[in-house]
Amino acid sequence: MIRLENVTKIYGTETVAVRDASFDIPKSQFVFLVGPSGSGKSTLLRLINRQEQPERGDVWVAGQNINELPASRVPHLRRSMGNVFQDYKLLLNKTVFENVAFALEVIGKPRHVIARQVPIVLDLVGLADKQDRFPNQLSGGEQQRVSIARAFVNRPLIMLADEPTGNLDPTTSEGIMGLLDEINQTGTTVIMATHDHRVVNAMRRRVIQLDRGVIVRDQERGVYE
Amino acid sequence: MFSRIAYAFRETWESFRRNLTLTAAAVLTSAVSLLLVGATFLIQRAFENLLVQWRGDVEMIVFVRSDASAEQITLIDSVLRASPTIIDVDKLRYLNKTESYEEAKRIFAGDPVTLGLLTPETIPTQFKVVPLSDDPTLVRSLSDQYRTLPGVEAVALAEDEFEVISTLSNFIRVVTLITSLVLLLVAVGLIWNTIRTAMFARRREIEVMKLVGATNWFIRIPFMLEGLLQGLIGGVVSCGGLWVLNSAWTSGVTGFKPGTGISSLVVPDSYLTSVMFILLGIGAFVGAIGSAIAATRFLDV
Repeated sequence: MIRLENVTKIYGTETVAVRDASFDIPKSQFVFLVGPSGSGKSTLLRLINRQEQPERGDVWVAGQNINELPASRVPHLRRSMGNVFQDYKLLLNKTVFENVAFALEVIGKPRHVIARQVPIVLDLVGLADKQDRFPNQLSGGEQQRVSIARAFVNRPLIMLADEPTGNLDPTTSEGIMGLLDEINQTGTTVIMATHDHRVVNAMRRRVIQLDRGVIVRDQERGVYE
Repeated sequence: MFSRIAYAFRETWESFRRNLTLTAAAVLTSAVSLLLVGATFLIQRAFENLLVQWRGDVEMIVFVRSDASAEQITLIDSVLRASPTIIDVDKLRYLNKTESYEEAKRIFAGDPVTLGLLTPETIPTQFKVVPLSDDPTLVRSLSDQYRTLPGVEAVALAEDEFEVISTLSNFIRVVTLITSLVLLLVAVGLIWNTIRTAMFARRREIEVMKLVGATNWFIRIPFMLEGLLQGLIGGVVSCGGLWVLNSAWTSGVTGFKPGTGISSLVVPDSYLTSVMFILLGIGAFVGAIGSAIAATRFLDV
């Protein structure tokens, strides 16, 4: 599903964010990207959804070399990916329902599709009864659920999560991880960048460890260390 | 499709409300500059009424009495053609009674009293003379000679009558045109800035839109629509202003003494209407340009 071949990303002239990274992630896998802050986890995610382009190497997504993709096709690439962030990136002036609907609205989905899909996904994340609340009226965990619902509502092939539990307490994090696991069970490939030992050790999934931009470990069913 | 259009208009309207002061500044600036552009058109056209009889480098007009015989007219024509070194005989033109009356209708557009005294029967016909020479004394001496010909009612020289007005009209045209162009540029800049601010205020939304795969056009169009609307509203305001100004002027000039020329400085309503459409067009164009630049420039989140 996702393959990186000797990818190097340099910011400016000498800040090497990722150096010669290669890996292959098959469909439906759950992968943790671990490592300290600044080790290049976020950059790897940004290379996969083409917010960044590498200086060297190729990034393949669903059989396509996305660095050769013309800019006009990038939106379509992104429709096959859901993004979840540490800070949720919810729109504060919109309700829970509207935030999720927004993702479908702006890619031109007709109203009846929105009316059908949004309640289903809100039910999945357990927020069906809070669809008319605004983000500020929700707890952190609930806000992250909304953001997961928004990322998943278009049924993406891939889910990219950048420190989704970074702002949450252990119990709430557990809930979020359960949700991501559930989404993974539906066949969605999940890549999650984190430095949260507990969740990595609890899940026992593939772990790719980065240190200063270099992949130092790639292990099936790994722990954080 | 419908939901996309509805989306674009809703977003445009929202953004309008949010940036009310900046929007007002952009709209007012474009309105003022467009008003000046419109005024330039009208002044230009009004002066043309005065200068219409001198159009095409005509420097001398020989008016022929309305009761002159055909022989007298032929004689005048042959006398004029007898000086091919001073007069450009190829450009020599004779206006018969109908043509002269049509012209008079423009010259006395704001002076119905004088126009009422003229009829297609009693109006003097005229020879329009374009000189070859730049020397005004030569033309002047010729005019003295033509005055004595039978059937000639009068000879008018551009130098005496309208040189001043012509210079003045050129001057006014250049000044208003430059001023309005500068103001139009300011309007583009202000609209650009409004759109930039609007995009900055919604950068989070734009970021989310890009991440979930909205196309650049989808993101851009509400902003472009907003700029276009600002320019268009500026155009509408300027049209209103222009109409008020023109009405005041048109009713004001009737107070001047007939025959002073000032009363000729009016424009027909049809011309005013087409100028208004031009202003709306320029307004929309200016708005679209300003916002297109901003939307393209600031879309990289």
